[in-house]
Amino acid sequence: MGTSRKPPARSREAAPTPSVKSRQRERHPTSLQLALTEVPPAAPSLQSVIPLRQLWLCVYLPALPLEALIDAPEPAAVFEEQQGVRKILLANAQARAAGVGPGLAVNAALALLPALHLAERNPVREAQVLRSLAAWANKFTSFVCIEAPSLLLLEIAGSLTLFGGIKALRRRIVRGLDSQGFDAGVAIAPTPLAATWLARAGRRVCIRDPRNLVGRLGPLPIICLGWPVSVYTSLKGMGVTSVGEALRLPRQGFAKRFGANRLLDLDRALGRLPDPRVSYRAPERFTADYELNEEESDAKLLLNACRELLVQLECFLLSRQMAVQHIEFSFFHLQIPASSLSLGCVKPGRAVQHWLDLLDIKFDRLELPAPVIAIQLCAGQGQQFSAETDVLRFNREDGRRQSTSIAQLAERLSARIGDELVHGVTVVADHRPQYAWQPRSNFEDIPHCANVPSCQVDSHAPELLAEIHRTNGLVLQRPLWVLPEPEPLLADSGVPYFQGPLKLLEGPERLETGWWDDDGIARDYFVAVNPVGVHLWIYRNRNQDRGGWYVHGKFG
Amino acid sequence: MSEILENLLKNPRIWRGQARAGSSGWQGLASGYPKLDQHLPGGGWPQHALTEILLDHYGTGELQLLMPALARLSQPQVDREDGKEAGWIAWIAPPFEPYPPALKQWGVNLSRVLIVRPRGGKEALWAAEQALISGNCAAVLLWSNELDDSASRRLQLAAEAGQCWAIAFRSLKALSQSSAAALRVRLDTGEQGGTDLGILKSRGGRPAVVRDYAG
Repeated sequence: MGTSRKPPARSREAAPTPSVKSRQRERHPTSLQLALTEVPPAAPSLQSVIPLRQLWLCVYLPALPLEALIDAPEPAAVFEEQQGVRKILLANAQARAAGVGPGLAVNAALALLPALHLAERNPVREAQVLRSLAAWANKFTSFVCIEAPSLLLLEIAGSLTLFGGIKALRRRIVRGLDSQGFDAGVAIAPTPLAATWLARAGRRVCIRDPRNLVGRLGPLPIICLGWPVSVYTSLKGMGVTSVGEALRLPRQGFAKRFGANRLLDLDRALGRLPDPRVSYRAPERFTADYELNEEESDAKLLLNACRELLVQLECFLLSRQMAVQHIEFSFFHLQIPASSLSLGCVKPGRAVQHWLDLLDIKFDRLELPAPVIAIQLCAGQGQQFSAETDVLRFNREDGRRQSTSIAQLAERLSARIGDELVHGVTVVADHRPQYAWQPRSNFEDIPHCANVPSCQVDSHAPELLAEIHRTNGLVLQRPLWVLPEPEPLLADSGVPYFQGPLKLLEGPERLETGWWDDDGIARDYFVAVNPVGVHLWIYRNRNQDRGGWYVHGKFG
Repeated sequence: MSEILENLLKNPRIWRGQARAGSSGWQGLASGYPKLDQHLPGGGWPQHALTEILLDHYGTGELQLLMPALARLSQPQVDREDGKEAGWIAWIAPPFEPYPPALKQWGVNLSRVLIVRPRGGKEALWAAEQALISGNCAAVLLWSNELDDSASRRLQLAAEAGQCWAIAFRSLKALSQSSAAALRVRLDTGEQGGTDLGILKSRGGRPAVVRDYAG
């Protein structure tokens, strides 16, 4: 903050004394005010700046092309092809010490420093880095906008109280950037453009009062406004090199010469016109890559890389109060197409350990055809995370160990065995035995339906069954086992055989239904027993074309 | 002499029949068949241990034997002595389809039934162990031909750790194999058509034959 004192000391001292301030305000805008009379529609009201409740923090990353590509202590530089010549764009401190600087031809740079690590500028990667930084900056404010190619704007007025004031917040942001290896210029101003210009000019200032903007922006060189070079050169030809001098030019002439947009830029920077911005919205789906230094086939190492990706996923989901149900890992190989591994869980989750447990089970059985060079993690559609209230469990001596929920158990089992092979069951109201039930894949704990009378099942089942039998067999007993498909039985002079002749014990129970769809049945069911004591549920088909005896179940 | 004996008895591989016998031991899980309960130590099925049921033919009442106990385990009951919640009943590798309408007739809470169909015998054992130690299941029913002595020991330990009732169905061929199960019974068809139950091994109890247990 020390640097911020130097140029604006005058205006800061001036602020409390109204006479000086008014003099200062008159001095700059007078010429513009004169211009106002000539260009009435375009000019905003100059007497009062718009009352601004915003405060913009601009992060300027001058060395982004270098930082996005190279993260090494050795001398390094990024080059760009300009008119067929490859020239150095940026060099790090070690390279600069050896005399490698911007504009130098690559060949010359290599002659100076043979060990120079060179990389071609990659704007896609820069944009990627900027996006990830914007996502990171989202933890300081909900409003972050990306100004390509190397700027981030954070609206921080609402975050000051939470982070303990403007200085503390600024320190956190600067330190955060520093720890991630970014050399950043940070400036704070009430308008986004002013903050941008100040940051570009390398002024580490903090302006809170919009009335100070004119005084503070005045000394800035025109070049840091980011206007086209042609505008800059013609302004320079007119002897205008600073923002203050540009402000003193007549408005109409300025607009005619350099375009109305330039004039609007100035008005917006000074807070005379609103400057709406679009906030960056991070994608709602998570994707991340992990590139390995060399081809790797060690399972432990790969699992570790997967863990890192999962940690990122958890951070991503945590900040959005979301959870996902499916994730997919892709393992990339050099020569052949990537192999993938998808994980799913019964309930949306986000905990790293949870996914790692599932991954462990599946990874065992994964056969990678070749060593892996990179791993990508894609998460499925995010869902609202619903935190569960859990009972505080004291160490009960006889307490059941309730470390996992049934959903987690089902997940573990289906991760290894297969989804459709782990299921629950439910009954369906249909008289046809094969349609009287269906599998259930939802393991959400169904709330106890003890209060619903229809759900209450008498637990004294034998008595219940005895009662049923007494009432003249209105409902015949159902077998505990059914066969997936009824099997035909051999019959000898009308007596069915199953490892010996069958003796009919109960029945018949006639089921004739389902005529409305193609799967109608007309059967007489019996309970039968064979010589070794196996109780069977058999039926005789009443349809002439498919007549005969079938076994459908066993009384286990 | 007695000191040597004491040291020998400290060996965890040795268990003494009397130590847990009768009322001094544990509370059994009432089977729902009074005739059977008389012969089981604690008056019922051993709750947190492995029970082995040996039989040759499915369909001879092997599930009916368990149904009253399973029905009670699966029902939420506030007044249950141990204050536990309704537990899940896992069926691992059943030989046929367990028929839900029949389960419902027997009073089993269907929302607590989990059916797992592993592809191989080893997977079945793994799944059973996972279900046992998860602590969610009140009972785990396993059909396996690959259950040997060491696997039964693992299941027995898992049942203790997860406080869960493990039931393994095996063929009568396994009769000669040793097993770590707390209770081993065999089912045979009796002369009068009922099912006879032979108690082969019972921790804290004695071998016995219960003729027509349901009668």
